[in-house]
Amino acid sequence: MVAVIAVVAGVVLYPVFFLIQAALDVGLPDSRPPTAYGLDNFVKALDYQTIFLNTLAVAFAATLMALLFGFATAWILTRTNVPFKRTLDQLMTVPYYVTPLLGALAWSLLGAPESGFINQLWRSFGNSDALIDITSPWGIAWVMALFEGSVAYVMIGAVMQSMDPALEEASQVLGGGRLRTIWRVTLPLVAPGVFGALIFVFAEMLGSFSAALVLGTPSRFYVITTAIYQLVSQYPPRIPLAAAMGVSLFVVMFGMLYLYRRITSRGSYVTISGKAFRPRVMDVGWLRWMLFGICVIYVLLSVVLPVGTLVYASVQKLAVAFPSAENFTLDNFRQALSINAVRTAMANSLVLAAVTATLGVVVTGLLTWIILRSRLPGRGALEYLVMFPQAVPRLVFAFGMMWAWLVFPLPIYGTFWVLLIAYLTVFMPLGVRTISGVVMQLDKSLDECGQVCGATWLYRLRTITVPLLRPGLLAAWLLIFVASVRELGASILLMGPDSKVMTPAIVEAWFSSSSELTAAMALIQTAVIAVVMLLFQRLTNRIADHGA
Amino acid sequence: MQNQPSAPAIEVEDLSIRYGQVTAVGGISFSAASGQQLTLLGPSGCGKTSTLRAVAGLERPTSGAIRIGGKTVYDSGKNVNVPAEQRGMSMVFQSYAIWPHMTVFENVAYGLRVRKVGGSELKEKVQHALELVKMDSYADRNASQLSGGQQQRVALARACAFSPTVLLFDEPLSNLDAKLRSEMRIELRELQRRLAVTSLYVTHDLEEALAMSDQIVVMRDGAIEQSGTPSEIYSYPRTAFVADFVGSANLVTGTVIAAGTDENRVAIRTEDGAVLVGVTRGRHVGHTATLSLRTVHLHLFEKSPPSDSNVWPVVIRHVVFLGDISQLHVQWGDRELIVRQTSATSLTPGQGAFLWIDAQQCILLET
Repeated sequence: MVAVIAVVAGVVLYPVFFLIQAALDVGLPDSRPPTAYGLDNFVKALDYQTIFLNTLAVAFAATLMALLFGFATAWILTRTNVPFKRTLDQLMTVPYYVTPLLGALAWSLLGAPESGFINQLWRSFGNSDALIDITSPWGIAWVMALFEGSVAYVMIGAVMQSMDPALEEASQVLGGGRLRTIWRVTLPLVAPGVFGALIFVFAEMLGSFSAALVLGTPSRFYVITTAIYQLVSQYPPRIPLAAAMGVSLFVVMFGMLYLYRRITSRGSYVTISGKAFRPRVMDVGWLRWMLFGICVIYVLLSVVLPVGTLVYASVQKLAVAFPSAENFTLDNFRQALSINAVRTAMANSLVLAAVTATLGVVVTGLLTWIILRSRLPGRGALEYLVMFPQAVPRLVFAFGMMWAWLVFPLPIYGTFWVLLIAYLTVFMPLGVRTISGVVMQLDKSLDECGQVCGATWLYRLRTITVPLLRPGLLAAWLLIFVASVRELGASILLMGPDSKVMTPAIVEAWFSSSSELTAAMALIQTAVIAVVMLLFQRLTNRIADHGA
Repeated sequence: MQNQPSAPAIEVEDLSIRYGQVTAVGGISFSAASGQQLTLLGPSGCGKTSTLRAVAGLERPTSGAIRIGGKTVYDSGKNVNVPAEQRGMSMVFQSYAIWPHMTVFENVAYGLRVRKVGGSELKEKVQHALELVKMDSYADRNASQLSGGQQQRVALARACAFSPTVLLFDEPLSNLDAKLRSEMRIELRELQRRLAVTSLYVTHDLEEALAMSDQIVVMRDGAIEQSGTPSEIYSYPRTAFVADFVGSANLVTGTVIAAGTDENRVAIRTEDGAVLVGVTRGRHVGHTATLSLRTVHLHLFEKSPPSDSNVWPVVIRHVVFLGDISQLHVQWGDRELIVRQTSATSLTPGQGAFLWIDAQQCILLET
């Protein structure tokens, strides 16, 4: 147990230690360890007030929009008789899989002030200005909100779903009208859950990286994460300043997530009782088709339009709004598939993701079991350690790792090993959360019964625990795999010249070669992930059929 | 240590279980002879399940000792704690714990496979265990398709399949409906006798305990209130708690006015002057005493019955019809007594009547 805690603490806290050390380093520029400590870097960071203000403004605007999307769709889907509810519910989670990076690439093609398709159309009607500017703070916030909206939907939807309808019925029976019931009962009951979602989404927005990188960097609009990336990757790098910014961001996010835990663990009054309720559904008459339209528009804007745009751009020689036969080409795909660098990056990504997912499931599975089912001392501390990476933006964490591994006696900096360790660490919370969802539903006595029957721990693991946890373990494998293939913040800092992976390669292509080629690369990556997911599902279904 | 023929099958000595500051079980001792069924009876939170889990090895006690068939499996003094999988017992869980990913056959075969039983012997033993619980035609069924009662039977077959010497039951019938429960009670008792297996049974259900046990240990707040045979416990409760928990009783407290005239007799006078004669059962008599009067032992008459003691005029307050029985609340001096009778009653609220109880049925409680 001590060893387990030590290893987890090592991978989690070692980089954070170096991050903080770098932030406090005010000594000679090139000497490590630092020759003097102080708070000068934080004072210097204050000179970049605009960056902090930008970050807050974008995060705030994006959070409000995401919450608006999430609340509206959650309310429509849980509390009204909107048609095709089940299909809509499934569609609502798709934006999460499209990812902000893909969204940012696509929306850049759509809404760049000069060349954006929408603005080309707008000018073709005789206007001379741009209709929208996606590279503005509002544009960046819009893209971030579109994709975080589905996270808000899931969180708020769960709160609304778990509310006991009797609470509202009681208000009505006592003579409260419909509006009064909503105002005095429904809203106060869901308020803590919505507030929790707000805090969580805001924290995510503060640490988000890819949309601001793609949309903001060309026009020199920086938020804190992109500024850190800039400071680290420029020449000469300004490590202590970047570290100070990273530590500031991390402290704020940590505080927000602590607040979030406080809010959600207090149980949001009585709404979360663990029982499955059938929420009261309001008959909204013909309005239901309008509400249906709202949900469909959300899915169109966040899934269909972006993916469609990428497809459209990828088959053109020069991406323009109006199709013409001589502009059509498949060269972008041909080129993307034939460039050696892209092929190795894709293969690297897939292998690395598969190894990460496999090791990750084993490690997080064991950690989950220790945290939830063992009676070993120190498992509370272990839980905090395991969930810790959630409070650190991946980019900042990778920065800490980079700085840490540079001085580590093992020469693994710039190799796949560093990426593997980084992925395993940053996706630990994802794996533990997924698996613990299944473990908590498992009756403890299923294992205890095997024990009383005389089976050893290993025998029970093989015959009872793993077979029963299989759905959760497989889900965790797939989630970690997909997350690893698409990882950007950590990979962009940690990959070396001989350890290229796909997502940073897409971003590189965006900045250094054509947007048509980038669109093709992004689509290829998406298609590969989709194929793997399908194959995986086929395979697991077959195992399930044979196994049971 | 070798198996001694005379050693009790289960022996628990001064067992304590604490969770941090909370004492779940505070130094209890009991033992069950080979082939006996011993029941731990008590309300929820009394420590009975913790005790059972400690015997199984699923819970680590704080101190004390546990011996199974003379072999020490736990002893805090000697620092012995045999893990559950090596104690060779078997257990039926409250939730049944039927593995949903296996067939009925595989569920029952589990303990045998662990013991490296294979081939035809395995098949035979599983078949036999399933026959015992009348589930032999379900062997190939998927365990997740069974009803609650069937799961219960499979859990039982699984527990018996590898012929353990000690069987543990953790409220196995509490999730069944009332009718099925009373059937299973009889079946379980029958099975336990047939297999001559020692069993430790935990329940909060009085009828279950009375119907199935050779010996009952009544627990409360982590301590033993009373232990004895079912009829002893029911007829001669030792404390107010047992009197009230095991069946329903009226408790009457008063000043002792006569004791030991007839060596087993005691008479008390209540605050409002009624005189009540009961039996001491050899228990110590102080200045004041409390007697337990079972509600079913109280009888109501329209005319005064021919008895020289324990007859009082009363007024009927409420009559509650409960189907098999009727429950009457009667005004007795300043307080109400509850009377349960099996026959339909013609008495109505407000009516006067005479109440009588046999002195042998008024049991002195220890204070």
